[in-house]
Amino acid sequence: MKIESNGDSLCVSEIQELTAVTSASFRDGVGYAINATTSVIEIDLAQTRFMDSSGLGALFALYRATSKRDGLVLRLLNPVPEIEQLLELTQMQQLFEIVRR
Amino acid sequence: MKALLICPMVRPAVPRLAESGPLATAPIFGGCVVIHWIEHLAALGASQIEIIAPDGASQVREAVGNGARWGVRVSVTASSVEPTRQEALNQYHPAGEPGWLPSPHDVVVMSHLPGSPGMPLFESYGSWFSAIIAWMPLALTPASIRIAQVRPGIWVGSRARVSPTAELIAPCWIGDQASVVAGAVVGPDAILEDRSVADGTARVTRSWVGPDTFVGPMTCVANSLAWGNTLIDWRTDSLLHVPDPFLLSSLASPKAAATTDRFGRALPTKRPAEAKHGLITAMHAPLGSAADLKLHA
Repeated sequence: MKIESNGDSLCVSEIQELTAVTSASFRDGVGYAINATTSVIEIDLAQTRFMDSSGLGALFALYRATSKRDGLVLRLLNPVPEIEQLLELTQMQQLFEIVRR
Repeated sequence: MKALLICPMVRPAVPRLAESGPLATAPIFGGCVVIHWIEHLAALGASQIEIIAPDGASQVREAVGNGARWGVRVSVTASSVEPTRQEALNQYHPAGEPGWLPSPHDVVVMSHLPGSPGMPLFESYGSWFSAIIAWMPLALTPASIRIAQVRPGIWVGSRARVSPTAELIAPCWIGDQASVVAGAVVGPDAILEDRSVADGTARVTRSWVGPDTFVGPMTCVANSLAWGNTLIDWRTDSLLHVPDPFLLSSLASPKAAATTDRFGRALPTKRPAEAKHGLITAMHAPLGSAADLKLHA
């Protein structure tokens, strides 16, 4: 997983999978990287091939944490169709701004 | 009167439909493709039906038996190729031979459902879904004693359990022994096959849910074919094996699978099937009669 901070934006990419094994490090890594100036968080899911309920839980925890801060935008980028299906199945696509670039 | 049915071979566009059996035995509306065709031909007056099965002849035989339940004689012949209708006519039905159903019912390739020649079943997952949705009003035949139309466009199995607070939106089909739990929404354009469960506040819309499939609480199955833990978006053919059984999973336990056929009927030489999943028995909260249902025709 790669976390890049560029001014007020935070980009998380190269996430191979979000599962019970990796979701804690994802949640902690992103949590530590967010600072007072962060206004945009982009989670690039282009390389994410597998996600389970733990991964969904990590995304939801991030949503909960960011929704408390006014003006902080959370986006999911380029999810593969399978991950998008999982987000739709759990209705989590309603929570996130999903962007394809 | 004689008739010949030709089972379609595996089609590359819909490989998942043939994962657990030949396409002719793909489950639809409490039966399967070949069963619906036999019922149709029997209603037209057929008394002897030969089935050509290019693959899975034994599973086709298991599904149809000897045809006695429809009052016809059925035989299944294995074949290495899928003959076209014309090839089958040449080989099995010499011109002028009496005793056959009139054309085109004499020789049929089961690539569509009875009475819907313009709706191919196996060209894509989207065509499968469109074909079965269009056929829903035709699925209820005089022989269907376990399904009734409770409101216009809403068919419910006689042993289905639907919570009074569940919502059924026409057109939809709730198969025999299926369960729709409190707060769940099924429809429009939704089919819940036999013994499937839409758990509390689940939503099934523009989708087909295969037999023995559990749709978990708060999950939303939309524009999809769901069977066991497999979820296929019929618009994009995208396929997902859902990793968490509380979201989407199969209710057919290995033990039940060993004692029942693909349609949940007890196999005659083995012990009767036991309860398939503790979940089903645990879900029997107060459920109402059809008159109490929240229905939107």
